[in-house]
Amino acid sequence: MNDYDDVMCQVRESFSGLRMDLPVEKVFAASRSRRHRRLSGLTATAVAAVGAAAAIALTLGGGQAPARSGSALSTSALTTRPLSAGPGPVSLAAFSVTSGPGGSTTLIVRKGSQYQLAPAALRQALAQHGIPALVTVGSFCRSTPEPAGIGQLLSPLTLADGSDAMVINGQAMPPGTRLSIGVFPQYTRMALTQDGAPLSCTSGSGQPAAHITPSNTPIREPRQ
Amino acid sequence: MGHEQDEFADFYRASRDSCLRAVTAVVGDAELAEEQVAEAFTRAWTSWGKVRRHAAPRAWVVRTALNLGVSWWRRRHREVPLADHDAAAPAGLGDVVDPALMAALRRLPARQREVLALRIFLDLDTETTAKVIGIAPGTVMAHLSRAVAALRRELPLASTDTNAREVIR
Repeated sequence: MNDYDDVMCQVRESFSGLRMDLPVEKVFAASRSRRHRRLSGLTATAVAAVGAAAAIALTLGGGQAPARSGSALSTSALTTRPLSAGPGPVSLAAFSVTSGPGGSTTLIVRKGSQYQLAPAALRQALAQHGIPALVTVGSFCRSTPEPAGIGQLLSPLTLADGSDAMVINGQAMPPGTRLSIGVFPQYTRMALTQDGAPLSCTSGSGQPAAHITPSNTPIREPRQ
Repeated sequence: MGHEQDEFADFYRASRDSCLRAVTAVVGDAELAEEQVAEAFTRAWTSWGKVRRHAAPRAWVVRTALNLGVSWWRRRHREVPLADHDAAAPAGLGDVVDPALMAALRRLPARQREVLALRIFLDLDTETTAKVIGIAPGTVMAHLSRAVAALRRELPLASTDTNAREVIR
């Protein structure tokens, strides 16, 4: 065992700065939320029709919809499965991703201190719907050059409860592109990025930020 | 319920960092590891009556977190992040953990990383590590020996003290 001590100590010390800040209250809340979802699962089928209708309404909103809209969407519809075929819905505390008609995908990002968005989870959920994405919280990344076509890709809306809802037409994404999603406390920013192109990221405060890029390459160059 | 909640809270606060480090060492992505560990702790609280009686509750959390990663991989039918042994360290992690060390860890087979993580971050002995993973104690020792040897070969810092002493002398 002593033969290993030098290496094991080195590994231990190297990880000593890695800490988990998630408060235990969040763990309790997630557990409660899971129990609640299980209990409410019986009503999901009845609500599904509302979800499908809402998704259709969002899709018909047009590809050039402004960032803010008077349209409202029932929160209860956000965690239901629309009637169309496609990947199953992924519903987490801070977001939901559901399949919509015509191959579209509806993304809801909920706002509020009670929601803690996990970028990797959202990235995975979108990938399951065929949408490659770069998700950052508290910052926003763009590529140079920036591909055109974002207007045909997204129909963003702000719901009555302040949540951001976006209908994403994944089939309109140009090949070799990725959807950059920057989640901030008050808003969500989106852009198309070109795979392999240099990325610049800015935080809400204008401070530099480092993120995980699609190629797992650190980014440290801010751009305002 | 209040007592159990306090008990779990104490367990969580005392264990979360070491569990995160262990899972990060295996999966190589701190962000993904944190999600998996958080989910594993949620499940631990849901099954606290069972987990609290486990021989090594922290190991239960780590194994659950790692199994979540495996489930995700099976769902996605794609490679786990560490499958690309030559990939650069994810951003953010490089600020905390020596990138050369992370790269060396990524080049180890998954089982060796897991043994190393359980021994280093959870301080499990050979017997408990073997039970947790479900392999023979001798196999644990073999994995540990190979992992340490590989890291020692790849990490100049691991022998820095010895070299320094030789230079000084």
